[in-house]
Amino acid sequence: MPDAVVTGLGVVSAIGQGKQEFARSLFDGRSAFGTLRRPGRQLPAAQHGNGHANGHGHEPGNDHEPGNGAPHDNTAVFLGAEIADLRLPVSLPRKGLRTASLSSRAALAALHEAWHEARLDDVRPERIGLIVGGSNFQQRELLRAQEEQTQQPWYIRPGYGHAFMDTDLCGLCTEMFNIRGFAYTLGAASASGQVAILQAVEAVRSEQADVCIAIGALTDLSYWELQALTSMGAMGSACRPFDAEREGFVYGEACGAVVIERADRIQRPGVERYARCLGGAMIMDGNRHPNPSLIGECSAISHALRRAGLLPQQIDYVNPHGSGSRIGDETELQALRTCDLQHAWINTTKSITGHGLAAAGAVEVVATLLQMRAGRLHPSRNLDRPMEPCWCFVRDTAQSCDVQHALTISIGFGGVNSALCWQRL
Amino acid sequence: MTTQAIFDIIAGHARDVLPELVGQPLCGQDSLRELGANSIDRAEILMLTTASLGLRIPLVELSQPRNMGELADLLAAKGARVA
Repeated sequence: MPDAVVTGLGVVSAIGQGKQEFARSLFDGRSAFGTLRRPGRQLPAAQHGNGHANGHGHEPGNDHEPGNGAPHDNTAVFLGAEIADLRLPVSLPRKGLRTASLSSRAALAALHEAWHEARLDDVRPERIGLIVGGSNFQQRELLRAQEEQTQQPWYIRPGYGHAFMDTDLCGLCTEMFNIRGFAYTLGAASASGQVAILQAVEAVRSEQADVCIAIGALTDLSYWELQALTSMGAMGSACRPFDAEREGFVYGEACGAVVIERADRIQRPGVERYARCLGGAMIMDGNRHPNPSLIGECSAISHALRRAGLLPQQIDYVNPHGSGSRIGDETELQALRTCDLQHAWINTTKSITGHGLAAAGAVEVVATLLQMRAGRLHPSRNLDRPMEPCWCFVRDTAQSCDVQHALTISIGFGGVNSALCWQRL
Repeated sequence: MTTQAIFDIIAGHARDVLPELVGQPLCGQDSLRELGANSIDRAEILMLTTASLGLRIPLVELSQPRNMGELADLLAAKGARVA
């Protein structure tokens, strides 16, 4: 089977746009958490409130005092990490950008970076495919469009008729970058970004395309989703994965783009290879609900290792799902233990970036490959009291590490388990 | 309210939707299609214009004019009033 390798990466996040800024923030352990301020992110009654909906009245990320993650009164506010200043390349046509959603603009920026790194202008457009991981990722934009016309709905923008579909992002990206192979969105909850990469690998291996770009879409939550996730107990006031005091995830805007291509078709000068995807797996629990499954996670990890032809002992580093969920983190460590991965180094990207939901898997693959190339592992924030001290956690400072093989794990609501194995090139 | 004032509103929204028209003089003989507006762009310009004028008209009734001047005349005939 042909090798699938990564030749381009792009990233947009609250901790930095572009690989350099992003990596610098990761290695410095510098986060950007605070009160969410984008229009449509706070309950209407909470616009001027003081409390925190996902953790009372303390700044997230730096605290040593756990919030309770419970839904609160109607003056509470939601916390997370937002992109302060999304920069779009001047080469992109302004007309298309006027009605592009935040998710689309983030995707265009990430794709632009990955595209030019992989020099895809020199690839036949018919041989390039695009897979966008994520579903229902424009919720806040839709809410705002609807609320603007609540009194006069007949004046809703006609363009809403196509822009409300997630596939509008595919249309924009393929138009602006002249992609003429296939393009579609896929949904796998918080594993969407990683499953998009898995499918991109399959697409180039099966010769559907020579190049396939996987994007983990920015999930643009509105206060409705934030409130529901808070009410179900999923969100915390500080992201502290694998810490004894973890209390849930904290939202973080992000988008990642990963260029996958057949190794034997790369003949473009100047194109460098980050890593080879040796194998991966997506396994369902047969469970609609958010609760994790030890069997499902073990199955995804062991299938990925087997398809990669790797023994557990060959994995140097695990980039875990690590959302900060009480039961989720516990289950994930059990799965890693069951799969004989206790020797591998672990850190927690979400403790710095926040949880990008659909984007998370792709952004964490970007983080993994940047770390492999740099020979360093970024620190984990808020890991003050590891729930199990026996693990090789990277704690509060970055450290050198020669990572030949890495495992990335992404888990999603609705019984989704996924894992990918990477070999540094 | 003159049709010139209605035309100015149409032209303003045409520039909103087609940023490349900013700074470019527009006249009544200009066709939105020939200026580069595709069908969705034209629908957006018409919707923004009717909203600005406070008119509630099915957009299909505004499909006949061949240029922006004729569109302004039609909107005036349909009762457009600009303060």
